[in-house]
Amino acid sequence: MSSLIIFTLLIVLMLTGMPISIALGLTVLTFIYTMTHVPTESVALKLFTGIDNFEIMAIPFFILAGNFLTHGGVARRMINFATSMVGHWYGGLGLAGVMACALFAAVSGSSPATVIAIGSIMMPAMVAQGFPKRFGAGVITTSGALGILIPPSIVMVIYCVATGGSIALDPAGQRVSSASVGQMFIAGVIPGLMLAFLLGMTTFYRAWKNDYPRLPRASWMERWIAFRKCVWGLLLILIVLGGIYAGMFTPTEAAAVSAVYAFVIAVFVYRDMSLKDVPKVLLGSANMSAMILYIITNAVLFSFLMANENIPQQIANWITSIGVDWIVFLLVVNVLLLIAGNVMEASSIVLIMAPILFPVAVKLGIHPVHLGILMVVNMEVGMCHPPVGLNLYVASGIAKMGITELTVAVWPWLLTMLIFLGMVTYIPEISLWLPRALGML
Amino acid sequence: MFLRILDRLEEILIATLMAAATLIIFVAVMHRYLLGISFLYPILFPIDLSWAQELCIYMFVWVAKFGAAYGVRTGIHVGVDVLVNKLKAPWRNIVVMFSLLSGAFFTAVIGSMGAKFVYGLAWTDQVTPDMEIPSWIVYLCIPLGSYLMCFRFLQVAYSYWRTGELPHHDHAFVEGVDVVEPGIGAAEVTR
Repeated sequence: MSSLIIFTLLIVLMLTGMPISIALGLTVLTFIYTMTHVPTESVALKLFTGIDNFEIMAIPFFILAGNFLTHGGVARRMINFATSMVGHWYGGLGLAGVMACALFAAVSGSSPATVIAIGSIMMPAMVAQGFPKRFGAGVITTSGALGILIPPSIVMVIYCVATGGSIALDPAGQRVSSASVGQMFIAGVIPGLMLAFLLGMTTFYRAWKNDYPRLPRASWMERWIAFRKCVWGLLLILIVLGGIYAGMFTPTEAAAVSAVYAFVIAVFVYRDMSLKDVPKVLLGSANMSAMILYIITNAVLFSFLMANENIPQQIANWITSIGVDWIVFLLVVNVLLLIAGNVMEASSIVLIMAPILFPVAVKLGIHPVHLGILMVVNMEVGMCHPPVGLNLYVASGIAKMGITELTVAVWPWLLTMLIFLGMVTYIPEISLWLPRALGML
Repeated sequence: MFLRILDRLEEILIATLMAAATLIIFVAVMHRYLLGISFLYPILFPIDLSWAQELCIYMFVWVAKFGAAYGVRTGIHVGVDVLVNKLKAPWRNIVVMFSLLSGAFFTAVIGSMGAKFVYGLAWTDQVTPDMEIPSWIVYLCIPLGSYLMCFRFLQVAYSYWRTGELPHHDHAFVEGVDVVEPGIGAAEVTR
């Protein structure tokens, strides 16, 4: 009963278009004042302690690092390197776009940032070379989504934060702790490479069928030069993943180090940015970080309320009592997340849904890391289709195309992503094999 | 005039905290690794950086509170606007106004709760675990940030009432990345 009231209130408030963080907070306040006897002081305290956690601070650091990298330089050199490697195959620049997006995704934790960084250079270049505009826009919009699947990924950190405090019991009744940021990052590597490969295949096939232009083959010398020029950017992958895996840094420290590193290469090594641009980058990053941290604060409040009312446990018991197994459950989860992806952006969905889904999934024997990767892939799909696909909006701004036209342009790759989603859902080993092989699970 | 100073202060505060937090953690990590080098050990060992994590967390909580207020002004707080945008003129205005005033209401309530909490805390001698500064100073960001955010919501609501326009954050716009003129000639990519 109380869960029905909570969700109805939340949905009604959200539909008025108010910021999701405010809708979450107002729901909690209303419920606490009218229905329960939780002291309101604990609410004020939660507003502070909700984000009083060093792991969460990886989010602003990764946003800052990403913003330094988006400013030209690194992306352009990665594009040149990718072009020299795969430009002579069918799909030429399109294929290079997929590869460049995958490379950039490995240094950036956000999808729209990847679309901006790669798309603003790649899309005009593709049009100039004789590709139809829709083809370029389709490739970059969907490949940009790799940003949150290939580590580092802001959405993965949010998933770990959102499920961190949950109490979840596996089918045998043992307490299961949530996935760590390190586990999630390593788990994202294989699915990320697979999706990049599948998107590349789709690009290749479409280009081969329509006989789009190819580039002359680059010599190994040219490839070496292109590689050397972008090696400073690629080193960042080593710092983040290598550092976390080798236990040199915690994910948050790795994020801080990569922010400083990104600043140094943007300002002193590549010199794409002068020192007087730095305050603007800082301000923009603080703005974006504060928005996400503010949603997290209120989402923590919301999941505190839900835990207080025992709602996740009730749902878990109800689901097991009607005899749903994990196969059906994950199908329902996918549909639910895809629908949510129609109206909300990724971090809010993960923050609201993950604390609810996590105990249920664990009760059905689903691994926390598997659920996390599945949610991330769902968020990727949501970013690429209207009405609120952030990648679509960013790409439509760059390509000067309408959303409707872009939606049509995107569908071959979107279909590929949906097939991939099916694979990730029902083959847990895609997500679990690498962390297990490295002894992290 | 007063508003302009407030705007600048807000921007300077959050940008500075962002930079400082990053540097502090970077220095703390470097410090940990440089300790392993024997000739640096005597110089670095007396420097105690165990408070770095705590300070970084507090700085980001402050960024979150004041940045959220700044975010209202830049329109970065997104909501579910699919339905609202379908509404006809008078209804749309009412709903938008309702959501803005709800924001102001919520932040005012939180600010007052925070103020009460901080006031109660100020009479105790509770200090933070590592840095041992009085807790109420750290928690001061809840009332200050929330009241500022409330003020920003009212400001946006007032300008919406006057002009019918809302601040809108453009995700496709990145300072320094020129979208119209590619940063590189197409010829350079294609060689």
